[in-house]
Amino acid sequence: MSTAQPVIRAERLTKTFGPVRALDGLDLEVAPGEVHGFLGPNGAGKSTTIRVVLGLIRASGGHVELFGGDPWRQAATLHERLAYVAGDVALWPGLTGGQCLDVLGATQGGLDETRRADLIDRFELDPTKRVRDYSKGNRQKVALIAALAADVELLVLDEPTSGLDPLMEQAFQEVVRTRRDQGCSVLLSSHILGEVEALADRVSIIRRGKTVTTGTLAELRRHTRTHVHAVTVDEPAGLADAPGLTDWSSERLDGHIESRFSIDADHLDAVIGQLHHAQIHTLTVTPPSLDDLFLRTYDEEVPLHDVPGLEQPEEALR
Amino acid sequence: MRATGLRTMLGVHWRTHRSGTLVWILALIASMVGTAAAVAGLYTTPEKIHTYAAAVTTGSALVAINGRVEGIDSLGGVIQDESGFLMALLLPLLGISLVAKVTRREEEDGRLEAVLGGRVARYVPVLAGLIDASAAILVTALAFTLGITFCGVPAVRSALYAASLGGLAFVFAGLAALVAQITRHSRGVYAWSLLVLTVAYLLRGVGDVTKTWVTWLSPLGWAEKAAPFGAMRWWTLLIPLAVGGLLCAAAVLIAGRRDLGSSLVRGRPGSARASAWLRSPVGLATYIHSPAVLGWLAGALIIAGMMGALAKQFVGAVTGNPAMADAIGMSTAHPEDGFVAVTQLYIAIIAMGYAVQAVGSLRGEETAGRLEPRLSGTLSRMGWIAAHGLVIVTGLVIIVAVSSVVLAASTAWSMGTPLHLARVIGAGAAYLPAELLVGGLALALFGLWPRAFPAGWAVFAIVAFIAFLGPGLKLATWVLDLAPTTHIGNPPLGTVKALPLIVLSALAALLAATAAVGFRHRGVPRG
Repeated sequence: MSTAQPVIRAERLTKTFGPVRALDGLDLEVAPGEVHGFLGPNGAGKSTTIRVVLGLIRASGGHVELFGGDPWRQAATLHERLAYVAGDVALWPGLTGGQCLDVLGATQGGLDETRRADLIDRFELDPTKRVRDYSKGNRQKVALIAALAADVELLVLDEPTSGLDPLMEQAFQEVVRTRRDQGCSVLLSSHILGEVEALADRVSIIRRGKTVTTGTLAELRRHTRTHVHAVTVDEPAGLADAPGLTDWSSERLDGHIESRFSIDADHLDAVIGQLHHAQIHTLTVTPPSLDDLFLRTYDEEVPLHDVPGLEQPEEALR
Repeated sequence: MRATGLRTMLGVHWRTHRSGTLVWILALIASMVGTAAAVAGLYTTPEKIHTYAAAVTTGSALVAINGRVEGIDSLGGVIQDESGFLMALLLPLLGISLVAKVTRREEEDGRLEAVLGGRVARYVPVLAGLIDASAAILVTALAFTLGITFCGVPAVRSALYAASLGGLAFVFAGLAALVAQITRHSRGVYAWSLLVLTVAYLLRGVGDVTKTWVTWLSPLGWAEKAAPFGAMRWWTLLIPLAVGGLLCAAAVLIAGRRDLGSSLVRGRPGSARASAWLRSPVGLATYIHSPAVLGWLAGALIIAGMMGALAKQFVGAVTGNPAMADAIGMSTAHPEDGFVAVTQLYIAIIAMGYAVQAVGSLRGEETAGRLEPRLSGTLSRMGWIAAHGLVIVTGLVIIVAVSSVVLAASTAWSMGTPLHLARVIGAGAAYLPAELLVGGLALALFGLWPRAFPAGWAVFAIVAFIAFLGPGLKLATWVLDLAPTTHIGNPPLGTVKALPLIVLSALAALLAATAAVGFRHRGVPRG
């Protein structure tokens, strides 16, 4: 996968709007056949990045490639190979949903008819209703169906499930997986962690126009902590000073010792060994979720734990 | 009935709509007082006023357009006649737009829901909108009174004139408020209110020409029958107050009882598939621009048909007035030429308005967020703007051609002479370069500085003002020359020279090319 040419490659991308620096050295790489989660809080620069990648706006600096070409110069040619759902779905209010589907489809060079019919069914869309009478969720469905039914190599989806109910979200995830299995690459911008966690092979997290971290979910999970809740017969020895362990608390409960702490992936094995020595009564291990990473990345007061030195004062207090 | 949240709503409207409302009021005051001042500067002696009065009251064409002004043999009468057409259009529009903006538009965009979720009674937003509009109308009327009095018209008469115009705006504000309760979209509010205005205009015209009671059926007739410079019928002000008040009461009552987002007129389901035509860039552009084409074409057809039907009366009246006949060159083989020239100028301004609006809808596509998905497909920017350009120009040609044919046909019917189709169409076509120039300017704004697009409307307003009132008000030559219409040569009465047409066309093409290059190199969407 690493040898194939990336579908999207952006390096040190910058974009300024007057005094505002929307992108500030952003890197992004989407490999063929992967679902790439693009995470960031509101205003982080996700939509701006996508517009630069599509050649709708020109980057102020840095380098961007779409299918190996220059999206600003060859926009229309490169767009033959992708379908896009914009963050704010806007349709022609006087057309019906079905007509909008066809018009959007024509923009992408046609829709797969079987898939179109199938998706209308699946998303329970009434294509004879006028767009102005649709709810937000239904307008979103029109844009999604148009993109998902297109015969393309890349789907660029900007906050695609906003306005969808959980059932439709489920349907959306299934369809995206199917498309991926058919070889389609997906750039999925979102601030909904569950969705990215459910779909993405790799993730890039951005903040204030910069890529903060990027990697596979497994890699990212390694940077997050496992939460452990253990009830043991004896007091586990040396737990308080165990390397890689934080947020430790311990209390006596019905003659047992209840310990709570979080531990980084590298030291998990050693600590479980210590618990084992103290005779485990019950053990709950909560795997790291993307939320942890997300929160750590965004909360500037709490730095990433792998930045050395910054957690020392906290540990010194204990 | 305690009006919960009325003060809040008035505050919200003030904060969100004050600049738009102020621009409206100032533009109105400027055009009214400007016309009054120019008339006062021009008709300085009773003799001059008398000549004017004699000229416009002979024949029915000008009566149909500007109304039958009682007491036209006075300065105030000339002012009322000169601004007759413009004010009959602008004051109802003031009422309609002020109300539509704060009622159905807010509901359609979902902002009303947020407001009604707070401590605001259901009927209060409409009530507040009507209070805003009434206040704006009152301010406008007061400024009219002061301005016209300042130009040398007796204050009492100015006040009655201003009040009659204010009453006219109030009726249409009430109408718009009521229509806003029963149609689903703000576009419908405009469409239905403007339809009523058109009918009112036609009824007033028919009544004035035939000198019958039909005039009394029209809100425009009520304003006219106040006769501020004639018999001064103050009691006629009660009619617009009563009708407007009833419309307002009905609107407020319905607003308090109906469901949010509901309406009497509902959309019907449509086709589930788009035709191959609609899917093509030109097809979708046609879909986007056809409402504008049809709307402006309807306006042009009303003018062309009405003027043509009155051609005989007009020509008859002018031939009875040798001085005027000489002035407009009636000695030619085509006595109706002067009158076709006037009508073609009106049609040219209408076509120009269409061009600006059509280019504006490109900007509308962008701000609504529909341009972005459009350009993220296989359609290039050049392809997109070329498709729209083609459709816009085709629409322009259709408006000019169809209304020219109608004008030629109705003139021939009224005069009982053979059809001079080529002559009339040629005159219409001669204005195309001027129309394209203004459209090209609007397009250049869209391509280079999209946020400055409203300046395109300002240009249109200035050109329309110069074209309609410039010669009548004897403005300086350099001011007249600012309007591209001046350089066309007033066909078919005057001779059209090739050079100005070529220069105007070349400028238009240059502007269009600049627009395309600018659009190719700017970010989309640009806020």
